[in-house]
Amino acid sequence: MLVAAALTPAISFAALDVDTLLKSLAHPAPATTPFVEVRYSRLLEQPIVVKGQLEYHEDGTLVRAVNEPFKERTEIKGDSVSVDRVGRAPRKFSLKRAPELRTMLGGFAAVLGGGRGNLDQDFNLAASGATEQWTLALTPKSAQVGKYVRDIAIQGTQNEPRCIVVTQPDDEASIMLVGAAADTKLPATIARDWLSTFCNSKG
Amino acid sequence: MTRTARAALLVGWVGVIALLGWYVQANLTISGDLRLFMPSPKTRNEKLLLDEIGESPASRLLLVALDGAPPESLAESSQAFADALRADSRFGLVSNGATSVDSIPESLLPYRYLLSPTLDGHMLDAPFLRDQLSERLEDLSSPAGSALEPLIPRDPTLEVLKLAEMWQPARQPQKLYDVWFDSQGKSAILVVATKAAAFDPDGQEQAATALRKHFEETRADPATQLTVSGPGAFSVLMKGKTQSEATWIGTFDTIGVIILLLIAYRSVSATVLGVLPIASAGVAGLTAVSAIYGSIHGITLGFGFTLLGVAQDYPMHLFSHQHPGKAPLETARSVWPTLATGVASTCIAYLAFLFSGVVGLAQLACFTISGLAMAGITTRYLLPRVMPMKSRDYGQVVWLDRVWATIVALPRPFWLGVVVVAGCVAVLMFGKTPMWESDLGRLTPVPQELLLQDAKLRKELGAADIRRLLVVDGATADEVLTRTEALDAKLRSLVESGDIGNFDHVARYLPSVAVQKRRQAALVGRDTLQIALVEALKGLPFKAGLFEPFLDDVATARDLPPLTPDKLAGTPLELRVGGMLVHQGERWSGLVTLGAVNNAAGLEKIAADSDGLITLLDLKQASEDLVARQRTHILWSLLGAALLLTITVFVALRSPARMLRVIAPMAITTLLILAVLHGIGISLNLFHLIALVLAAGLGIDYALFFESVENDALEQRRTLHAVLVCSLSTLWVFVLLAFSTIPVLRSIGITVSLGVVSNFVLALLLTRPAVQRVAHARA
Repeated sequence: MLVAAALTPAISFAALDVDTLLKSLAHPAPATTPFVEVRYSRLLEQPIVVKGQLEYHEDGTLVRAVNEPFKERTEIKGDSVSVDRVGRAPRKFSLKRAPELRTMLGGFAAVLGGGRGNLDQDFNLAASGATEQWTLALTPKSAQVGKYVRDIAIQGTQNEPRCIVVTQPDDEASIMLVGAAADTKLPATIARDWLSTFCNSKG
Repeated sequence: MTRTARAALLVGWVGVIALLGWYVQANLTISGDLRLFMPSPKTRNEKLLLDEIGESPASRLLLVALDGAPPESLAESSQAFADALRADSRFGLVSNGATSVDSIPESLLPYRYLLSPTLDGHMLDAPFLRDQLSERLEDLSSPAGSALEPLIPRDPTLEVLKLAEMWQPARQPQKLYDVWFDSQGKSAILVVATKAAAFDPDGQEQAATALRKHFEETRADPATQLTVSGPGAFSVLMKGKTQSEATWIGTFDTIGVIILLLIAYRSVSATVLGVLPIASAGVAGLTAVSAIYGSIHGITLGFGFTLLGVAQDYPMHLFSHQHPGKAPLETARSVWPTLATGVASTCIAYLAFLFSGVVGLAQLACFTISGLAMAGITTRYLLPRVMPMKSRDYGQVVWLDRVWATIVALPRPFWLGVVVVAGCVAVLMFGKTPMWESDLGRLTPVPQELLLQDAKLRKELGAADIRRLLVVDGATADEVLTRTEALDAKLRSLVESGDIGNFDHVARYLPSVAVQKRRQAALVGRDTLQIALVEALKGLPFKAGLFEPFLDDVATARDLPPLTPDKLAGTPLELRVGGMLVHQGERWSGLVTLGAVNNAAGLEKIAADSDGLITLLDLKQASEDLVARQRTHILWSLLGAALLLTITVFVALRSPARMLRVIAPMAITTLLILAVLHGIGISLNLFHLIALVLAAGLGIDYALFFESVENDALEQRRTLHAVLVCSLSTLWVFVLLAFSTIPVLRSIGITVSLGVVSNFVLALLLTRPAVQRVAHARA
């Protein structure tokens, strides 16, 4: 244990910095991870749960493919977004028009692509916790984006992200479980407290 | 006349000009309505046609293009720009293609159930609501779902979005990043309606300034360029362009003519005094027009002063004939018969325009006739009384003598007249250019390239094919709406068979009272709806009581009085509906626009089977008919004027041979100009006719003076001096005009310059009396 700590001083309990964290997350593209997204809304008694797969391609394209309970494919390439849902006309729009998506993309890119990239442009970054249980917090710099997203928290263990939590200013949130965490059996009623605890655990 | 009396008269004269000038300037309103220069409509269809061009809500639309930056940046600019414009009270409807929920004002929101066709196919029952609510749940889980979240409690079936999508134009440009783009994806396109009427130049100018300011404040990329087109933009542009051109042309005119006068008369006082008749003419013209018409068109003002330039010749005739030993009043008296004939004949030519049936031309004629008459009268009665006695004698000028000798030695080639006439007739007969410009749009003085740009933008917006319209007649607006609805199925089948590409009509936006009442009847009562909703919500995670606003709105909608056109004021629908539903006198007309008409037979059948209630209007045909009828009218007026003119010249000269000598150069010149324009591929329009009349007036003037020369060498030289100075100054003015960037001014400049040269040469060759012997003897 002492030896291990001495050999890997960067990944220690105390000094967890953003760059190191991002570097440790970097995967060679293409990267694919299953996800389960739990979205809370003030309109709903129960959150909606959708399942699918996130893909990160070499050219930077990000795909969010929903398989359950319906089929939908969102593709983000550069600044342009296209949404295809079975039985609906496909839509195309600019990321600049959808700040909430832009921030989410930032989160995904950080998780899947690693590297600071232009995250600094849009967010204040902060890392906290320790290697086995860390949190990367992204707070949007622009007030425009702030209207939609209060912050994004990416939580994980070692070099595995577990949760991406997007919190809106009205405290509503969408919590996405990725990687191995997506296979977790969720309880019938998913309370936010339960999910918070889950994301904060070491898996 | 004593020195003091002369000074007093001069001061009085200048004073009256200044006073009248001030009064007119303070009271005159300048109009920019281009329709003043278009023919006056006779039939209902022609009225519709001109309304389309003039005051309809459609004419208030500005087409805006943003380009010069990457599409995404343009889309971003388009959104920010549209938001800024929507917040500005100077603008009404602003569309950039984005389906905006805000496009339906709060007051109309409960009407959504009466306006949307949803209730035609469904009841608000449990299965339909269930289906809709499940879809909303999917929306909420989508990354872009949060935008819809606020709408759902009030409008779970998203009628607002359906309406916003339905109210997008039938054909619209492609959308990139949610906003309209041209087919190449290079420019973002917006449509903006100004609150100011299209031909209110001040209101349009304010709108244009505001537009540019918002553009500069909202553009995402500094490289982004703004292009604005449409009648309103044209009136601003033409105002600015006319003003700047008028300034530089006016400045060079003035400088040139002053230099010419100084050289010709070597006298500052003559130069200054020479301005007084034309100044009087300008003030008289303005006073007459404002007294009769109340306002003056900008074009009348611009052209009018150009046409008045002829009056600059009048004092020159007086000055050139003035010589020591003769009192100025006596000179004026001796020049007067010739001068008066010239003034009268020019005025008679313009009479044709007074009765042309085109308000702008009538104004122009009124302005010119009163101005020229005033210039003639002041030259005869006032100018000699304030002129200094002493003067050079231009009869004694040596170089003039030599010029005269040369002229005298010139051959008198009557055959030349015959050859020119024959040549011209040949060109006119065998040329391929259409003789007349029949396109109503081209009668405007707006430069062609701008019209092309406008046409391109309109095409991108899908508004290009407005050649044919179905006009639905009705005694009330609702009658028109009902008839239009009945037409809908027939038009749909024409689209399916490929006869027409698409169509758009007012009932798409505002259903008839009957349809609204039918949909209203399909709305269930609050209790029933509540039960259906509870049923539909079973097993769905929506919160209890969430849809109270929906229940409230449906309950409100059940009791609403149907929406009628008068209740649309101030809403985005006002413009849409106003452009397609026109109130004319006692009747209402609905316009059905048709896109990509491949086969008009089906449309003709619709019109034929309608008992005259529906007409198929061919705008191109209507406008061509209108222009053709107008042209016939003007040509008849011109013919009448020509006859009257011949009679005047005959009365003045009392000899058919002399009359012929005076009229011939003018007639041949007119033919020559026609042939030259035809030969270089220019079709004639109203403005060419104005220029031709001006050139004819000048021709008569020159010919009269050449013809009136007595057998006195001194008098001959004085006349030559006068005609030389006159034609040089006129030529200078119109050559400058020929350099104008405004096509109409340019074509007038070219036409008249050509006319001046031809008239002068022909007057010299054909009109000059046979006085060789006397001249030689004196020389």
